[in-house]
Amino acid sequence: MALPIVSVVLPTANAVMVPEAAAEASVSEYPAADRIDFTTHAPAAGTFPDRWICGSPSCMDNQDPAVQVHWYNEHTVFLRQNKAYSYEAPFLHLYFGNERILMLDQGFTTLRTDWALRDVVDNCIEKWCLRHGRKAEDMELLMAFSHLHADHYAALNQFIDRPNTRTMGLTHEEMVGFWGMTNYPEERVTLDLGGRNVLVWGNPGHVMSEFAYYDTYTQILYTGDMFYRGRCYISFWDRWFDSMKRLIAFVDTHPVTHVVGCHVEISRTGEDYPYGITYQPDEGPVQLTVEELRHAYEVAKTVTKPGIYFTGSVFLCNQTRGTTTIDKNPYAYS
Amino acid sequence: MAQNSYTPSLQGNPMSATGSQYPNGNPNAGYNGAGAKNTDSCVPLHRSGEVVHNYTCDGPAPGNIAFRWIYGSNVAAMNRDPRIQAMQYNEDTYILRENVCVHWEAPFTYLLFGNKGALLIDTGATPEAAYYPLRTTVDAIVTRWSQMRGRKNVPLTVVLTSGEDIAQNQGLGQFAGRPNTTLAPKPLAEMKEFYELGGSWPSGIGKIDLGDRVLDVIPTPGAHKDGVSFYDPYNDFLYTGDLLFPGKINISNDKDYVASLARLKEWKDKHPVKWVMGGHVEMQFVPGKAYPRFATYKPYERLLQMEPQAIDEALTYAREVEGKEMMLVRPDFILLNGVSPDQKTSVFPAGVPNINAPRPF
Repeated sequence: MALPIVSVVLPTANAVMVPEAAAEASVSEYPAADRIDFTTHAPAAGTFPDRWICGSPSCMDNQDPAVQVHWYNEHTVFLRQNKAYSYEAPFLHLYFGNERILMLDQGFTTLRTDWALRDVVDNCIEKWCLRHGRKAEDMELLMAFSHLHADHYAALNQFIDRPNTRTMGLTHEEMVGFWGMTNYPEERVTLDLGGRNVLVWGNPGHVMSEFAYYDTYTQILYTGDMFYRGRCYISFWDRWFDSMKRLIAFVDTHPVTHVVGCHVEISRTGEDYPYGITYQPDEGPVQLTVEELRHAYEVAKTVTKPGIYFTGSVFLCNQTRGTTTIDKNPYAYS
Repeated sequence: MAQNSYTPSLQGNPMSATGSQYPNGNPNAGYNGAGAKNTDSCVPLHRSGEVVHNYTCDGPAPGNIAFRWIYGSNVAAMNRDPRIQAMQYNEDTYILRENVCVHWEAPFTYLLFGNKGALLIDTGATPEAAYYPLRTTVDAIVTRWSQMRGRKNVPLTVVLTSGEDIAQNQGLGQFAGRPNTTLAPKPLAEMKEFYELGGSWPSGIGKIDLGDRVLDVIPTPGAHKDGVSFYDPYNDFLYTGDLLFPGKINISNDKDYVASLARLKEWKDKHPVKWVMGGHVEMQFVPGKAYPRFATYKPYERLLQMEPQAIDEALTYAREVEGKEMMLVRPDFILLNGVSPDQKTSVFPAGVPNINAPRPF
């Protein structure tokens, strides 16, 4: 029996989606004085902290904030979940535009009483609006994420009742529909945040449904769990390698300041922090260079079978999901 | 049972987990002093001078793990449980657990008393007294115990089930300089001398005399090359540390591991063993499922104590994994031989219900 084709009507972001070339010609409706110029000075300078909060020897004695808020620059915020709130300690991004705000990922703790991400984000938005003479309720918040794993959307429900907020959706079909894509993963669409364009395209490999985001203002390329300083669990090698090719083609044609992933699991000295650990005192920076991405691609070209391959900055865990281990029993003796 | 049909002499003490007729010892037995009552306490109501306890008893000494162990919380930073949960098993045995949110290993530490002194087995995974006040806790229990017994002098000996195990030796430093205290040395050679096992390791048996309560020291390398187990003839407990506990057992040398279990089995066949008391709990209360490393929230933990048959089972399956790099799942423990501590397997023992405990979120 043939299954009926169900047409799902979704609250998509199509209205703000325009083909890449046309986006640049969009005309402002704000008076010039109020409007922030996100194009003339790109890439906008920004900073990463020397050290992110990275857990503590005793979790219950952790005195760090539940979420570290770092303003990369005036219009860009990076957030990090405290390791004592979730060992995944994912990074979250906020990109402010003239009309709307893009939030990438929502962390790994569900309850607002456990981890008040909503309050932190609302606070960031209010601060930004205050500085730039806008009303928070006029700014549309778009909730998107890299892929459908719980450490990237667990706190989404905290935003469900937030006014003027739209969510990407929790199925692949909804997400693709949200971005108005008809040819996933090749198609690259442009999200206009109001004078600030974010490019979005498919980035599968870790999972079948994942997205890459490129912010034209900071020129930061966000690669989610597909490529980050840690154990990239590659479930679908061919898909991942294709995504890698797309990323390389992208950095060949676009200026990229940093490649940023969702987690950090490797120390400055290249030591692996095992899965689940809650204290990473010497962790490496979250941002990777384009060279590190290119080098990983060169390493990936030589990969022919499942296994763990260290590129110097990331572990490529090719189809090892069930047994990914770099740790050995330290007490083994003969 | 209906209230009016309860007969203590037939049905035992309703407050007793075992339901045995004399959960606290038979008052008519010879080792009880004249006028002894079947009460919870071995300390007389009105004592004059030091109380000397008779550690002889029929079967294992009465005792009870009557509470649930603290098990961490979903958000570790918000945990407000005690840093150390101290459980009184009986008046001369205390079981201490490190809070899961202080250290994920959440090791168990045992404090035992005899007529001549106290013994602390293992010292936990956290060195900082501010996070893990082991010394303060032990001092408080010793003080209270000595007050109840009318004792001024309670020497303390601190021993380790493995000197090299950083999940059990970290609190040792808190006892440095403590008056009237002996610390078992950590290096293997010195440790053997300490138990007078220098010439007979690993087949010999050492002794720790607490005063009418003499513990046996059984060399059990395998999980650690300096592993030892302690046999407590009062509670009939075997304290096995990392060698045998309800969790993922990392075998560090499979030949030694099998030999040690064989020695424990031989010991168990010759001596009464009530429970095997390991150093950690990692299994869930569904069979064959363990919490991953570093988990700080374990609401569905298995009990700490293992029945003595666990030794036979562990021996059987240790022989099966000997010489092979593999992971083997059993209902009450998991053996990891030559593989990573994070190893996973899709092989589940036949005939064991494969149940997944709910995942906390």
